[in-house]
Order: sequence, then structure tokens, then C-alpha cells
Amino acid sequence: MHCMGQNDHATIQAILSGDKEAYGALVLRHSHSLFRVAYRITGNEADAEDVVQEAFLRGYRNLRGFESRSNFGTWIYRIAVHCALDRIKGYKVDDSSRVGGETDPEQDQVQVADQAAGPERLLLSGEIEAMQQTAMQSLTPTERTAFVLRHMEDRTSEEIAAALGIRPNAAKQAVFRAVQKLRIRLAPLRVKI
Amino acid sequence: MNHLNEEELVGHYYGEGGNHAATEEHLEACAACAEAYSALRQDLAQVKRVELPARDGSYGEQVWQSIVHSLPAYAAPKRSWPGVGLWKGLVYGAVCALLVAGAFVAGRQWEHRKQPTTAGNTSSQTQQRVILVVLGDHLDRSERLLVELKHADAGSAEMVSPMRDEARSLLAANRVCRQDAAQIGDPALATALDHLNPLLAELANQPGALNSATITRLQEEMNADGLLFEVRVLRSRLPDRQAGSAARSNGGTI
Repeated sequence: MHCMGQNDHATIQAILSGDKEAYGALVLRHSHSLFRVAYRITGNEADAEDVVQEAFLRGYRNLRGFESRSNFGTWIYRIAVHCALDRIKGYKVDDSSRVGGETDPEQDQVQVADQAAGPERLLLSGEIEAMQQTAMQSLTPTERTAFVLRHMEDRTSEEIAAALGIRPNAAKQAVFRAVQKLRIRLAPLRVKI
Repeated sequence: MNHLNEEELVGHYYGEGGNHAATEEHLEACAACAEAYSALRQDLAQVKRVELPARDGSYGEQVWQSIVHSLPAYAAPKRSWPGVGLWKGLVYGAVCALLVAGAFVAGRQWEHRKQPTTAGNTSSQTQQRVILVVLGDHLDRSERLLVELKHADAGSAEMVSPMRDEARSLLAANRVCRQDAAQIGDPALATALDHLNPLLAELANQPGALNSATITRLQEEMNADGLLFEVRVLRSRLPDRQAGSAARSNGGTI
């Protein structure tokens, strides 16, 4: 793998001049950050890996459209967010029939109580994570993505808006709706903890 | 005191509230809002517990290996030397200049070739007009002579003598006009002039003075009336021919 010492812009120039192998340096540099956000949005390891690959492929194909004044890391990160969003949108149809977009929170509360053998069991991180994952799946793809970018990736409303292709106020509203829904979903957990 | 709503609390939690300091003051002063905010923080803190699956240092290499075979190499941009563009421009310019010069020379040559023909045509048309004028004049004079012959008084020597002189003059002219008629391609005129010729010769070569018998004979034998009619018809045709010749010389059609 060569061109590791060069910055992203020089590497991109080399790629556009026909040096395909130079793209490997960019892949190595940005794979982990892309996997992180992809996993947080999709909630699935295999999907996250697919999203990373797809993002790098899309990025390579659209490299001529990359503006030199931009930051490649930010650019490829947005592509990954789009890929992840597309993926969970595709799953949403199946999920809605299986989980239900607007299921009764009281039902979840009963389910948790039923599943739990006692307070000690709820303290297990695995079960908490499972519950959170269920709560996350109740969000719309845009809400989930906006919340992940805000809450876990520490992105500002402007950055979220740019990544999702929406206005900053809409991004802020999406985060707020996600928080509201998650709090309702996670309320049983709070009580039992 | 207005309490903070949930949206304001969420904004404050993420550091995006309108006035962070004022909100902090309010939370210190308002127990209800502080409790709500504390609950919000507790709930959101729960969500952060999600653990990421571990990825070792070779993960980037794995991703690269999984996609490298799907990537087509970008075509290297074509090199262009600065001089090539200049030379191309010069060659194009030279070719254009050659074409313009060639067209100019060809135009000049064509004009040169066309000019003598035009001059020749003009000259020929002028000549034809002159011939027609001369013929017209000749026919006028012939007509007058024939009229005089028709009404000639054999006793008057003053009238007869000039007729013979005029006949001699017309006889010489008639030969030339005969050739001219042939030249302009008018067989009817040439024939009429042929008919006129014996009469003129007879008149011109009469020895001594013309007497009454000679005049009568000429009038009868030479069919002077018929000749007069023929000359008048030809004369009436001549203006048309002259007009036609003028139209041709102006580039029109007959």
C-alpha cells in the first residue's frame, strides 16, 4: 500500500490519474470511522460491514465529483450515512410488520417484565442493550440516523442536516422526536433499575 | 416562572439551546425543571452503553481487499503539449488562408475568361444593330425609288435623271446589304434584295435618258409594284428586329 504519507487530496489526484491502488490508503484511513457510524445506524454488524464497502465503492465511482476544498473524511462519512440510511429504510418495511412502528409502550413494559426474572436480570448489560435496540428500531430511519449522529457521533444539527440532506431545523426536530420515543420505550428500564 | 419544555431540555442537553446560561440558572432555581432534566439525562445516559463490535487493525485492509477487484482504474488524462495546440491553430489558419486565396484567384480567372465573351457578344450585337440600321436605310431609299418609279413621268428629265443616279448608288449598296442580310440570318430579306437587284441594275444601266416606254416596261417586267410591297413589308419588320437586338444587348430575351 503506497501513498500513505500523502494527504487525502494528493492521494485522490493520484487515483484520478489512474493509480487505483492509491485508494487503498483512503480505505485504511477511514474504514473504522465508517464502520462505527454504520453499525450505530444499522445496529447490525454484517449490515455495517456491507455499508462500509458500499460507501467506499460509491465514493470511488464519484471521486471526480469530490471537490478539492472539501474534507475527504467528511465526504465519505456522509456517503456512509446515506448508505446506512438506505439500508435501514429497506428493512423498515419488514420491521414494521414484525415489530410495529408505533406499538403500545405498555406492551413493551409487560414484555420486559415478563422476560425479566428479576431486577438483577435487568442489570445485565446484554438485556439492556437488547431493549435499547428494540427501542431504536421503533424509530423511523431518519429519526434513528439523526439520533445516532447527535447522541453517539456528537454531530451538530448542521452536520446532521448536511448528512441527511435536510434543513438544520428538521434535523433538530428529528432528534427531538427520537428522544421522546426512546424515553417512552425505555421508561420500564428506568423504573426497574 | 415558565417551566422549560422537553424540547428545550433536549436542546440544552446537547448544547444547542438558545441561551445556555439562562437555562442553567433556571434549572438551579426550578426544582421541577431540574428533576425533569435529571430524568432526561439519566435516560439518555442509558443509551450510550451500546458497545461497538471490536475491529482489529487489519480491518481497513480487509475492506480494501473486498472492494479492490470491483474498482476500475480511472483513465489517465491525455497529455497535451502546449506547442501542439499552437501548431494546430497555425495549420488551420494556413489552410483557411489558402482556401480563401484559391477562391479569390479562381474568381478572377473566371471573370477574365468571361469578359472577352461578353465583349464579343456586345460587339456582335452592336454590329447587328448597325447592319439593321443600314438595311433599314437601304430599304427606305429603295422604297422611295420604287414609289418614284411607279409614279414616274417619262417627260420630266429632272425626275428621271436623279432616279438613275439613285439606282446606281442603291445597286452598289444592295450587294453589301445582301451580304448583311445573309449575315444576320434573314433569308426573306436576302431574297427580297435579290429580287430588287435586277431592277436597280436595269435602272442604273439604262443608256441615255429614261423614256416612257422604258419606265413602263420596267414597271411591268420588273414587277415594281410587287417589289414595292415586298420592301414595305420588310421595312415594317425591321423595327421589331431592331427592338429585339436592343433587348438582347441589354441582357433580356426576345
